[in-house]
Amino acid sequence: MTMCPVCGRAVDEAAAKVQTGQTAHGAKEVDPKQGTRQFHDGKWYYFDSLGCRSKFTARPDEFLKKPAQ
Amino acid sequence: MNFGFSPEQEALRKEVLAFIKENLTPGVIAEVEGEEQEVSAGEESAGRKGLARRGPHLSELYRRIGARGWLGITYPKEYGGQGGDRISQYIVEEEFARVGIRVGLVGSGAPAILAAGTEEQKRDFIPRLISGEYSFALGFTEPHAGADLANLRCRAVRDGDEYVINGQKIYTTAAHVATHIYLMARTNTEVPKHDGISIFIFPMDTAGITVRPLVTIQNNPKAPVGTTYGAARTNEVFFDNVRVPKSALLGGENKGWRVGSTGLNLDRVGASRYLISVRRDEDIVNWLKENRHEGNSLGDDPAIRDKIAEMWIEAQVCRLMTMRSMSIVERGGNFTYEGSAEKVWAPEHGTRITEAITQMLGPYGQLMNGSPRTIEKGIFGHNVLGSFQSGINHGSVQIMRDQVARRGLGLPSQRKAQGARK
Repeated sequence: MTMCPVCGRAVDEAAAKVQTGQTAHGAKEVDPKQGTRQFHDGKWYYFDSLGCRSKFTARPDEFLKKPAQ
Repeated sequence: MNFGFSPEQEALRKEVLAFIKENLTPGVIAEVEGEEQEVSAGEESAGRKGLARRGPHLSELYRRIGARGWLGITYPKEYGGQGGDRISQYIVEEEFARVGIRVGLVGSGAPAILAAGTEEQKRDFIPRLISGEYSFALGFTEPHAGADLANLRCRAVRDGDEYVINGQKIYTTAAHVATHIYLMARTNTEVPKHDGISIFIFPMDTAGITVRPLVTIQNNPKAPVGTTYGAARTNEVFFDNVRVPKSALLGGENKGWRVGSTGLNLDRVGASRYLISVRRDEDIVNWLKENRHEGNSLGDDPAIRDKIAEMWIEAQVCRLMTMRSMSIVERGGNFTYEGSAEKVWAPEHGTRITEAITQMLGPYGQLMNGSPRTIEKGIFGHNVLGSFQSGINHGSVQIMRDQVARRGLGLPSQRKAQGARK
């Protein structure tokens, strides 16, 4: 488990990455209900929702500085 | 100067129409409807799923279309095309598009490969894109990089004879049905942002690719066949230490901005772009001719006739702009801003005709697929949902206007203009 750097809710990293399906030509598919992530400065960050990630995308430094809620 | 078609071109159109009449069987129609549920117009793909997933009726239809020499008309014969002209391609594409069959290559991958690919890439990809065996997902947009695409951060780092890719893409519409991804990634962070970008093409089953579905406003109920923009789904795509051979690079390291732009620009030349927006005009004219609404024909109303005529005139401007673009490319001319102008006019006409249809049909035009009393399975209602999409994807109308201003009118770029004001 990790914390969404924006809203502070728990995000299950493993669940966000676990394969739940496969595309027509063989790519791994994941469950869209399990949060999302973003590659930022060489590291993956996990988010509760696309909304949280959009806030992070706009102002990453703000959320990386503050302690998780 | 002759704005019409030659006798040979008119004969080709008649031949195509006769072929369609003979071969558009109920079995084909059923399979087209099933296919359009997954692959919609406007997507970055060959517009057709892989051959292995095509039903028997469509497989046979495409075999017959290929036997007539109507697939990949403008592509060189050595790469599986016909070495033909763009007007012939346009005529064939236009008539098949009206019945939901895509015979043109939608997407910027094939033109980019033809312009910048190695001989091996041309021989591998182009024949298979033409046949439908391969299709590409366009991996350009990122959370950080939409309209300002050069801000992209997905990284590709050289490691011996390979590149290692880490990062993500979003709104990758065809990722769940494509055989390959046509990816733009950053290969140099030490140079101006446009100069550090490269393009890679590699299979979707490469280890480390993850697809996360994003459902759209057309998902429930699903848009019916004939909806101009009906993609029920798009995707996020993640790349975790994805290793691709250096042969996956298209057009040389750090040359991706020019290669990608050239491909996108050439993709804007063709009947499919025109038809995306003006199919609505043809749908409503046909419907008005054939239907009475609450006992009256809406076409009897002079206000509606005026509006339809106004929209038809706009649609003809779309068509002429398309023909002009094709003519420039056909003659080997310097094609710079013309496709951008077309990419502004056609989508904005699409939203205007959608609004006009909505006003004409009233609440009936808002009933969706599956609703009782819906008109044309809800095409008009679903087009309301999707009509703004065409002004956003493949380069927003704002970006297109900027290109017209800079390349067409010679006005300074935003960066230069801001510098001059300081």
